[in-house]
Amino acid sequence: MVSIHIRGLVKRFDEVVALNDLDLEIEAGELFFLLGPSGCGKTTLLRAIAGFHMPDAGTIKFNDDDVTQVPPHKRETAMMFQSYALWPHLNVFKNVAFGLEERKVPKAKIRERVDEALAMVKMEGLGQRKVNQLSGGQQQRVALARALVVRPRCLMLDEPLSNLDAKLRIEMRSEIRRICKEFGLTAIYVTHDQKEALSMADRLAILDGGNIAQIGTPEEVYRHPRTPLVAGFIGETNLIEGTVAFSSGDNVYVTTAIGELAGRPSDPDWQPEVDEKVVLSIRPECLSIEMSPPTQNAIAGKLSESVYLGEVAQYSLLADGHEEPIHISELNPRRVIRDADQALYASARPEDVILLPAP
Amino acid sequence: MSRKLAIAIYAGTALFFALFFVYPIWHTVQEAFVSNDGSFTFSYILEIFRNPIYVEGLKNSFYMGLFSTLLSLLIAFPLAMLANTWDFRGKELLNSLVLVPLILPPFVGALGVKQLLGQAGALNSFLIDLGLMSADAPDDWLGEGRLFGVVLMNALHLYPIAYLNISAALANVDPAMEEAAENLGCHGIRRLWKITLPLIMPGLFAGATIIFIWSFTELGVPLIFDFTRVTSVQIFDGIKDLSGNPFPYALVVVMLVATVLFYLLGKWLFGREIAASSGRATTGRALKKASPAMSALCVGAFLLVTGLAVLPHLGVILLSVSNQWYGTILPQEFTSQHYFDALGHPLTLNSIGNSLKYASLATLTNVILGIGIAYVVVRTKLPGRQFLDAMAMLPLAVPGLVLAFGYLAMTREGQPFDFLIIGENPLLILVIAYAVRRLPYVVRSAAAGFQQTSVTLEEAAQNLGCPPLKALRKVTLPLIAANLIAGGLLAFSFAMLEVSDSLILAEQQAHFPITKAIYALVTSLGTGPHLASALGVWAMVFLAVTITGAGVILGKKMGALFRV
Repeated sequence: MVSIHIRGLVKRFDEVVALNDLDLEIEAGELFFLLGPSGCGKTTLLRAIAGFHMPDAGTIKFNDDDVTQVPPHKRETAMMFQSYALWPHLNVFKNVAFGLEERKVPKAKIRERVDEALAMVKMEGLGQRKVNQLSGGQQQRVALARALVVRPRCLMLDEPLSNLDAKLRIEMRSEIRRICKEFGLTAIYVTHDQKEALSMADRLAILDGGNIAQIGTPEEVYRHPRTPLVAGFIGETNLIEGTVAFSSGDNVYVTTAIGELAGRPSDPDWQPEVDEKVVLSIRPECLSIEMSPPTQNAIAGKLSESVYLGEVAQYSLLADGHEEPIHISELNPRRVIRDADQALYASARPEDVILLPAP
Repeated sequence: MSRKLAIAIYAGTALFFALFFVYPIWHTVQEAFVSNDGSFTFSYILEIFRNPIYVEGLKNSFYMGLFSTLLSLLIAFPLAMLANTWDFRGKELLNSLVLVPLILPPFVGALGVKQLLGQAGALNSFLIDLGLMSADAPDDWLGEGRLFGVVLMNALHLYPIAYLNISAALANVDPAMEEAAENLGCHGIRRLWKITLPLIMPGLFAGATIIFIWSFTELGVPLIFDFTRVTSVQIFDGIKDLSGNPFPYALVVVMLVATVLFYLLGKWLFGREIAASSGRATTGRALKKASPAMSALCVGAFLLVTGLAVLPHLGVILLSVSNQWYGTILPQEFTSQHYFDALGHPLTLNSIGNSLKYASLATLTNVILGIGIAYVVVRTKLPGRQFLDAMAMLPLAVPGLVLAFGYLAMTREGQPFDFLIIGENPLLILVIAYAVRRLPYVVRSAAAGFQQTSVTLEEAAQNLGCPPLKALRKVTLPLIAANLIAGGLLAFSFAMLEVSDSLILAEQQAHFPITKAIYALVTSLGTGPHLASALGVWAMVFLAVTITGAGVILGKKMGALFRV
């Protein structure tokens, strides 16, 4: 189990800069998520840590060891591949035992540890199965056992659940987290599924354009996104442009096309100045629907669409002066408003209206 | 296509196979077990194993097959590994050049090998000039029994089959499989041995099988080398007194059974099919950019192999323009006379015409059968269509010599198929013989075409009022034309170079194809070998043009044509 320290990492593929002077600290025993839109560099970063990409500049340290130039087979990481990469010419036992054989573990010990690892992923007794006789979920468990059994310094997971169906995916989420925590593993997990990241991560990093856009715990990143990109990528949000009018107490008042709205800066250290251009992020669940004008942060508009989902009702409100409809989620709706073109109001508490610097 | 038509095609092709694939084999096998008085006997077969000359022939054939295969793999494997790991300058070109030897007629090349490696050959002259060898006691590189020369020529001819198969297999390995091994601490040669090799084994085996069967039963090359103690040549020599002699039949049967046994043994040892795991590969194989030094190594390796492989044929070209070439590195005198003589010789012009006629008709037959079979296999749900598919691929696995012998036997006077010899003209049976052996290439390429072309395109045409057969002709056939042309060209080239059928079935000079004409010239005295070389060069120029066309059209998909 190691902590990982990355400084100034650069990786170019011909003209494309995949990693752009990236710094990152991952603590020992942490389940760390890399998240971002496709092409953001998350897989490149993971593969660089595993040693499959030689960086053009920068250093990677495991604890105090500089591993930047260490080839992958000597890094003692263990990777779970998106395609699982189980070897079809070896059975389940042999697949799992492979890394131990490479580490010259005695035969008897190998048997013991493989059985233990298979039990850990609830695959006991299936060692003699051929890989292609396994279901997708079972293959995924074998791949996990194969990675865990070598007791890696760091576990790497490259979209490990993307080939599973929805139900199994949710089951495996808690399973993987349980195992990582039981072993106290340092684990790096790449995904583009934000729910996976929010539900499993100790901390997560959002990557954009080869660099880290934001890093933090799931709550921090969800509740206090630092850029419009992060706000839009993690969860759903309404983004409204405006200019700062004045500040009063904790609240900053912003003039927008749909009226004056009061919010709070995402970063408590940032005091936006008057006339500065900002973007407001308001999550749909922070907005409530009102039939009569509310006293604060009132957004007036016409209902354009309503969708009933059982636990939630989703409304789209067309507000004057704003092209995109404003999305509103109402939890536990008693009555769904379906009258098209009905004049309505939405409002949010100032602490739920997040001020972000304009990009 | 209507079900009736599909059934008709199925029945027609099945009948064709029954008559011209199963029956000739059966006919041959039967002759080996019937004694003079018509009763069943095992004695001919037993006699083969009692006769030391036949046993030696079988042993030599086995060595010929085994060593040719091993040498081919040895040449092809490192090249395929380099090409699938590194990206280097000029790779596309080198990749196709390295395949060229496959269509250079090996038994013409054998002439060149003799000229280069013989006792009075170019290599010895070179070594003597350098003072590394005594002029009085030159080495004989080809060695006692000539096996070395034969194996060398076979390997230099057949390694492209191994190269294509190994490359295709390597390209199909999910790179994550190798990365996973690397990640768990397995590197370099160990990784190659424990992971890569087992994963590509089916592809490697498929290539090795074809090479083994091909060289185990090779007739042309040992004939030119005068290497008489192999079964194929013994069978060929046995035809001369065909009527009374049952041993060629018995030898053919032994050879056929041996082929099947070796195939099964190999399949059991190496070829067990590995089903890919269900996870899809997420990254394509990314080639590493070669450093200048690695680039030079790759280019060097490719040039070396290609150079070595075409060297015999360069020898042939030199031989064809030389007056005197004995005991010197290069010919002492050059002349273009042989080319004119070759074209003026009664044998040659005729044979070129004959070969063109036979090969074109055979190719036409192949394309028609190939489209029919591929359509039934890919586009219909007819029960037993996989059987048709497997049957169409079988000629790859049956020695050409066995079939040639069967055709000869079934068209002799008084046999049920003697009407296929019109007067003394073997045109029909040669066209059929050529077609059967090359059908697999055309079926494979046509099937690949059908698979790549969505059936909905045809359905869209039908939906707009086009009848099914017309839709096939107007929509699908134009789309798969490239595949058909490539497969057809390959079939055509191989038909032009066919040895076993040509040597055995064409008996009158007037009906000789090119290969038999070359063989006749080689064995004649005087300027015969020079004339043979000149004729060989004409043939090679011709083939180079066609196969380059096939390569350009088919590109990387060439590999699919050489799998059982």
